[in-house]
Amino acid sequence: MTWKDLLGERVPTALGREIDTYENQIALKRLGKIDDKVFAETRLRRGAYGQRYDNGQRNDGTGVKPLPFPSNGQTKGPDTIWDAPGMQRIKIPFGGLTTAQMDTLADLAEEYSDGVCHITTRQDVQLHYVHIDDTPSLMRRLAAVGITTREACGNTVRNVTACPIAGVCRDETFDVTPYALASMRFLLGHPDAQDFGRKFKVAFSGCRDHACGLVNMHDFGAIAVTRTTDGVEQRGFEVYIGGGLGAVPHEAKPFESFMSEEEILPTLQAISRVFARLGEKRNRARARVKFLVAQLGVNEFRRLVREERDSLAADERWTAYLNELPRYGEQALKTGRPLEDAGSSAYQTWSRTNVYRQRQPGYAVATVSLPLGDLSSGQLRGLADVARRFVGDTVRATVEQNIVLRWVRESDLPALHSELEALGLARPGAATIADITACPGTDTCKLGIASSRGLAAELERQLAKQIDALEPAVRELRIKISGCFNSCGQHHISDLGFYGVSRHVGGHVVPHFQVVLGGKWVENGGAYGLAIGAIPAKKIPDVVRRITGRFVEERRGSESFYDFTIRIGKRALREMLEDLTTVPPHEVDTAYYSDWGDPREFGIGDMGIGECAGEVVSLTEFDLAGAESQVFEAQLQLEEGDFGHADTLAYGAMLQAAKGLIKTEFVDISDDPDQIVSEFRTRFFDSKVFFDRFAGGKFAQYLFRRHARSDPSDDASATRRLIEEAQLFLEATHACQARLAGQLPAAPPPTSALPPTERPS
Amino acid sequence: MNVVSSAPDLANLQRIAIKVFVSADSTITARDVIPVFHRWIQTGAVNGLPIDVANYSHLPTGPCVLLVGHEGHYVLDRTEGRLGVQYNRKQPLEGSLADRLLSVTRHVVRAARLLEADASFSTPVRFLGNEVEIIAQDRLLAPNSDETLVELRPALDPLLTRWSGNTDWTVSRKSDPRAPFRVAAVTKATDTLENVEARLFESNNY
Ligand code: SF4
Repeated sequence: MTWKDLLGERVPTALGREIDTYENQIALKRLGKIDDKVFAETRLRRGAYGQRYDNGQRNDGTGVKPLPFPSNGQTKGPDTIWDAPGMQRIKIPFGGLTTAQMDTLADLAEEYSDGVCHITTRQDVQLHYVHIDDTPSLMRRLAAVGITTREACGNTVRNVTACPIAGVCRDETFDVTPYALASMRFLLGHPDAQDFGRKFKVAFSGCRDHACGLVNMHDFGAIAVTRTTDGVEQRGFEVYIGGGLGAVPHEAKPFESFMSEEEILPTLQAISRVFARLGEKRNRARARVKFLVAQLGVNEFRRLVREERDSLAADERWTAYLNELPRYGEQALKTGRPLEDAGSSAYQTWSRTNVYRQRQPGYAVATVSLPLGDLSSGQLRGLADVARRFVGDTVRATVEQNIVLRWVRESDLPALHSELEALGLARPGAATIADITACPGTDTCKLGIASSRGLAAELERQLAKQIDALEPAVRELRIKISGCFNSCGQHHISDLGFYGVSRHVGGHVVPHFQVVLGGKWVENGGAYGLAIGAIPAKKIPDVVRRITGRFVEERRGSESFYDFTIRIGKRALREMLEDLTTVPPHEVDTAYYSDWGDPREFGIGDMGIGECAGEVVSLTEFDLAGAESQVFEAQLQLEEGDFGHADTLAYGAMLQAAKGLIKTEFVDISDDPDQIVSEFRTRFFDSKVFFDRFAGGKFAQYLFRRHARSDPSDDASATRRLIEEAQLFLEATHACQARLAGQLPAAPPPTSALPPTERPS
Repeated sequence: MNVVSSAPDLANLQRIAIKVFVSADSTITARDVIPVFHRWIQTGAVNGLPIDVANYSHLPTGPCVLLVGHEGHYVLDRTEGRLGVQYNRKQPLEGSLADRLLSVTRHVVRAARLLEADASFSTPVRFLGNEVEIIAQDRLLAPNSDETLVELRPALDPLLTRWSGNTDWTVSRKSDPRAPFRVAAVTKATDTLENVEARLFESNNY
């Protein structure tokens, strides 16, 4: 008996056929009949990812050791060993889950994973430590409850996200759920959406002001609006295009101020066609829509999309779902009734942060706050039962890695709270500074540099203890953490953002986090923060304490944290953190040399550094420090609106960092930019010494591109981008320097690099 | 509820987990066990290929810390609020069901004994020698039903006898049909895990 036999017709025919094909591809790959890269993209398109250490290497704290998987040379992608555990991403459109789906996810986590379900920052579910051989059964069991993992990853349209409180929100223009659902159904497997150079992310939001939809960071973002024509109210969307975080974030550009509901699907189709036709394919680091929009300009991009739209053959699916809209809506399980009982003090604490009064009288939304987005199989199964009893059949996952129960009768809230308490799911503090978002980081992500989850767990532990004592203005701040610059933890759009980097100190590698300030969580992620400096991981709790403390002390009236950081300025904020940047020598305090929640020595400097090399390293470090100052100064100039100066400083930072690196081989390098670039190219780029393990020569290209342009830019967003690029160039220089000193493994040749689509965002 | 049921087929069951419990007068925390699991990787202290340590100590129930392995995971586990160590077998084992049960049990008992002997804990940890849980993490081959328990007994009973040296065991099944098949076995005769280990490892090679 197999799951295929047992589930039989419960698996919809089309999904069953797709999974059969996938299973055949697994068999063919085992027989060596499919190329590694092709198979990698095949499994990625079904959400089956690689995971950290699947290249068979791990630092056990004493050095990088091989993991001898018994795969006999079998691989499931370039440099990816067959038997190594992987991650399965499960697409949950707009985060909507039924109770039957929750039961199944709980079963799958127990049987194929590690007993834990993880909610991601894009309303997906992820299971870790899954063996590739188990994925077909896992997918069939999901299909039997109406879930497909198709296009959960790869160069495809990813999960379509939407506000988790859509339909019950007090501030929304209208419920965007059916539009998100229709977009997902229309684009899933659509022939026009199969030939992208990179992924494409879609989000819907019911309003402009809040953060639930995060339209500003999406390739295609739609905000619900209405207009009245001839006395008739018409629904539509304010559409934004070309947003995205990642290493070089772009804020979305206004595309259309009112797009009628009938035009959403054909426009998505037209954009898909333009993106497939004109988007970058070879250089995947610049293949997102944001780069195409930046390259063409939004006006030209819009013109091309409109032209494409006009040429499309009509498709009845564009509008068929609109006929169902009047009947769309969730049914409450119980009749609404106001709260009569004040409840226990634990209930009151919980309800202050975890309960939201719905637009519909007598009902509320309860947030189940999940530490690090995790819940065990037993908890998930228990939560499904609670949902059945209190709200009926559905819950939604949120981009803050929580789950919400909608349509809770207000009078049931205390009873709901005690049931959640029994499951260990009544953690208060939802949507506060103690409810931290974090990407998987070094726990499971191949690209993680520092432990985002370890830091998040530590900050949550410290902040939860003082949450009641915190000033309300501090309590409502958000912290978001990524394990590297790729931003899966969405650090750019939080009040306090952090992303993992490493620094080379006295022959050791020390985990650090860049502190990112100036981001806005509100207004759909309305502004992106910038890094103000790298601080040792172990000192980040002090960073949070200092900055929030100063905010409380110096806040003017009802000033927002964002306005406060702008008023105080990055220079002053950085100055107040300066002493925290010091790392004591290893022999004085080893704590700095391991990461949060992980006692292993972080990287290992077992190679003795000769005196000569030591001197050279000192010169290099001197230049790197100077480069850091320049990039920071560039940010200040950007803030002051002097874009030309900011551009020159960012460029200067890259030159100085490159020069520092050149000094490891050629101490007499001059200050001439042409000589620096030429020497850098020969010694570090052509030789691939500078290449990043995953990104290849991408970061070096930032320097070459800027060097090729003689005049500084006076455009704000181009300058901003250059500063981001300079920051990444600096990080790559630090990493290269550490590799040269023997503290990081050498980067493999780029031909064996993993496809960039493995970045788990 | 989507419980799909098949007839048990324990002859092919591989995803077996066994849990032993920490005694009431001792305890063990994630903070204690994380460095130990990392050390086990460095020193190859346990059989098989250990890969990494996963920390879920932020969850109040379920797995707390995992030593993730290729063949199976060692877990500091808090399911149903009871602290213990569990070995979840992932890769197939050879032999009959009884052989496989014995092998998984030996894995977990050896791990628990290593923890008992670990000098890094501020107070030594002790495991119960008179209680064990058997879990089948495979709803296809081992649905949570009385039928499965009936099919398990011929393989389980000799294991329990070998464990304690007697036949005086109470065996009960946890009944939630959606939860994995889980059987609790308790004997009145108290004993140390050290003695249990000696009996389990008698004669046969590990
Ligand atoms: S690639 Fe994404 S998930 Fe991985 S560490 Fe970086 S930000 Fe986190």
